[in-house]
Amino acid sequence: MLREEELKTFVDGTTQYFEVAAQQPATIGSPYLLEGEPAMHDYTGIISVSGKREGVVYFTAPRAMLTVLLMKMQENDFSHESMRDLVGEVANTISGNARRDFGHDFVISVPSVLTGDKPDIPHKPGARSFVIPINWRSHSAKLVVSLT
Amino acid sequence: MSTDSNADGGRRQVRLLIVDDSNIVRRRIERSQRLGEIEVVGTASNGIEALELARRTDPDLVTMDLTMPQMDGIECISRLIELKPSMRILVISALADKATAVQAMEQGANGFLHKPFTDRQLNDAIAELIF
Amino acid sequence: MQLPGADRSRRLLAAGAAAAVVTVMALVLIAGFRLATQIRSSLGVLQATSALQTYPAVIAQQLAALRGQLDTLEYTGHVHAELGATIHKFNQALAVIERRRGLDPAAMRRVGRLWRAYRPLLAPVLAFSAEPYDDTDTGSSLSAAGRAYDAQVRRAQLFAQEHARELHGRLAALAAELQARTAAAAARLRTLLLAGVLTVLGLAAAALYLQIARTRHERAAREAQEQTRDILKTVREGFFLLDADYRIGAVWSEALTRLFGRNDFAGLAFEELLRDRVSAETLATAVKYIRLLWGERARENLMKSINPLGQLEVSMDNGRGGRESRYLQFDFHRVMGPKGVKHVLCAVGDITSNVLLARELQEAQENAHSQLDMMVGMLHADPLQVSTFLDSASAGLKHVNTILKEPARTDAEFRKKLAGLSRELHSIKGEASALNLMSIAQRVHHLEDMVGELKGKSELTGNDFLPVVLKLDELLAHLRGVREMTARLVTLKDGSPEPGATMSVPQLRVVPAEQSGAPSALERPARGGGELATMLQQLAAKLAQDHGKRITLTLSGLGEVPDAYLATIKDCVIQMLRNAAVHGIEPSEARRATAKPEAGEVRVDFHRSEKGYELLFQDDGAGLSPEALKQAAVRKNILTGEEAAALDNRAALALIFRPGFSTREEVSMDAGRGVGMDVVARAVYALGGKIGVSTNPGRFTRFKIALPEASQAPAVA
Repeated sequence: MLREEELKTFVDGTTQYFEVAAQQPATIGSPYLLEGEPAMHDYTGIISVSGKREGVVYFTAPRAMLTVLLMKMQENDFSHESMRDLVGEVANTISGNARRDFGHDFVISVPSVLTGDKPDIPHKPGARSFVIPINWRSHSAKLVVSLT
Repeated sequence: MSTDSNADGGRRQVRLLIVDDSNIVRRRIERSQRLGEIEVVGTASNGIEALELARRTDPDLVTMDLTMPQMDGIECISRLIELKPSMRILVISALADKATAVQAMEQGANGFLHKPFTDRQLNDAIAELIF
Repeated sequence: MQLPGADRSRRLLAAGAAAAVVTVMALVLIAGFRLATQIRSSLGVLQATSALQTYPAVIAQQLAALRGQLDTLEYTGHVHAELGATIHKFNQALAVIERRRGLDPAAMRRVGRLWRAYRPLLAPVLAFSAEPYDDTDTGSSLSAAGRAYDAQVRRAQLFAQEHARELHGRLAALAAELQARTAAAAARLRTLLLAGVLTVLGLAAAALYLQIARTRHERAAREAQEQTRDILKTVREGFFLLDADYRIGAVWSEALTRLFGRNDFAGLAFEELLRDRVSAETLATAVKYIRLLWGERARENLMKSINPLGQLEVSMDNGRGGRESRYLQFDFHRVMGPKGVKHVLCAVGDITSNVLLARELQEAQENAHSQLDMMVGMLHADPLQVSTFLDSASAGLKHVNTILKEPARTDAEFRKKLAGLSRELHSIKGEASALNLMSIAQRVHHLEDMVGELKGKSELTGNDFLPVVLKLDELLAHLRGVREMTARLVTLKDGSPEPGATMSVPQLRVVPAEQSGAPSALERPARGGGELATMLQQLAAKLAQDHGKRITLTLSGLGEVPDAYLATIKDCVIQMLRNAAVHGIEPSEARRATAKPEAGEVRVDFHRSEKGYELLFQDDGAGLSPEALKQAAVRKNILTGEEAAALDNRAALALIFRPGFSTREEVSMDAGRGVGMDVVARAVYALGGKIGVSTNPGRFTRFKIALPEASQAPAVA
């Protein structure tokens, strides 16, 4: 059962990423439980988790948000590849940071990136999925934590 | 820094190799060093590429991601140290647990910087390693 | 702590002082001895000189006496002998003086010369040995020899008389000189002795001071040592030093013995300290870390931040032959020497109680999840009721999630969710309470509390809702557990092997509305009004017990409730019953005081009316006070003071249907959250019905609900 501090680790990791990488913190919207398939944004970075916990953690964001984020990071490459790269890096950073609380046995994969609004997310059966809307500037992304 | 045989008489620039599977991160590190005394001699997106580049470019300093496809950072560190024991290695990773840091240090890393990082944190971490 | 260097130098100083005392004493003694010898010999000479001084006069006298004898012709023999003796003594004394060196040689010479002048005159006198007298019959007279002798004596006497003073003076001068010399020597001796004594005293004082200082220092060192020992004995952490071979040093605090249950730490490898107490992997990480501490590579801050032994689970003997888990916290500090890291100071603390406390808290939270408390109450509950409830609760929680899902960025948007969440949760809690499903009711109550607390927060953000969504998740999991449990119970009770039995039961309730009036239908009393009646009686009994009141509940016509209204009617009656029990019915003593029967009476009557159906709910409690309602509305910022004053009694009573209204301040499981009657009103309005309230303060409160004809379609909970 996911504890509040654990969920908070992911949430804080995400908001902090924006603060550090783009000098402007993100805030979170109202969290809720995932029912069925979530509405996905254009790009989704997925980390598979194994070991102590199993499941997936993913960050899904619209192209517009990623574009602004790249600009804030002084990037000037706004290609499809760059978007994929960024969304994967965000997912990787959030999950990697979570090891601070989960420990070494929280094994995370190299990020994989899916695009399109109907990607097939490999949810682990029995995992509980929490959706945390991430609001940054006028944009909204989602962090989904789905762990046993 | 140890002085190398190919020192060109004047003060030698520190040669930096950047290893990260993310293009964006690689470019960020590269950009942050554009004006300094550091010369970026190469960038690699995985361990195998990093080893090959290191052989060719003889870097003094390497920034090293850990979670990468094809030879992860930990293994790459020990190979690089074998190649050139005086090489300084700064691990830049999102993996925030202590055992990972100890493991990296044990393999021969000299410093550890957590992702996400600011330019300032990056410069401080590098400065601590080379000066 | 001992300082061997300082101690040695202090010891050397003391020895030096002693040596100096001895040397000074020896020097003083030698010099003193020589001075004393000198003075003694001087005193002999002085004595001789003193004696010599008298001799010139004696010689002169004796010569005079000799002359007198010769004049009177008397016997000269013994005067002659005396003179001889005197001169002999003089010579002897003079020889003593002459042997003495250092006397003024000129004075000496002058004495010698003068005395040599005496000698030629004295020598013939002394040499005379004949008979000086001629004795005749006529008398005696000087013989010839006598006359010569007399003349010699006369000459000598004259010379002696003449020079006695001079010789005496010269000898006196010599004596004076000698005297002065001796006095000077004595003075020197005194000075020397004094200086010696003073020096010795000074040295002795210095030695004493050093000795005292040393003693004091030794005591301080001993005290310091004792303090160190006391610290090591009492400190709660295990302290020890690791050397460059990663071995434990010779000194450690006693806590270490307690922590590890052993005493042989000296020279023990750090690895051995943890071996078999932690996993091989952890041990490997620990050893790697310890090695890194000695490395050039590792800076203090970096090392601190990557310490993997900050909370280490170790397996220990529990003293009863078993093993137990303890949690240790290791801190490492590098002790730098001139050649890099010299030691690593290691501090170990036992943080087991902290860790366990945190874990217990967590477990207590998770235990709320355990199946045991689900069982309580459920054994008595009708599985069908429970199943119906679970369906409606799940639907309600789904709605809660939908409310959460509404996008929100601002405080206002977040705040908007709260009222809906509270309403929904309150209603679920009421049903759970009514079915005595306390494990669920408590959880919902807790969640409702969380939402209630958020209302009081000033600036709401998404973070505030994290615990809510987690709790919601937990609640849903719990409901799933209850559902499984119910299925198993049904299987047990019915002996039916079909696990899905309960799930299909709600469908059986779908009975056409037209038939609802027929009480003959077998299932109706059991699954409709009868079921509701039983449940309400149980709830009334429970409420009475919880609030220390006595309640008689009279129900009529509930069998008439069409299925389409059953859920709503049930919710409404539950809520009104709770309100009556909490707010309306007075405690028994209060009722006795006002001559009312001790048991409060609550009547519920459902019947057909001209336009459809009517539900009357009446209690004989304290009634409603329009004034109290107005005040409460003002207090809760629902109305301003002026608005409240403008309300007539009817409008004031209607306040209880306003969202967020309650007349009770404190929160209990049953009522008082201000979401009681508004839920009822909302449900009634949703069915196209009306609700009204009338009261007689002190006598009764009556709610009247009018509902239209039931539609054909069965309602979904």
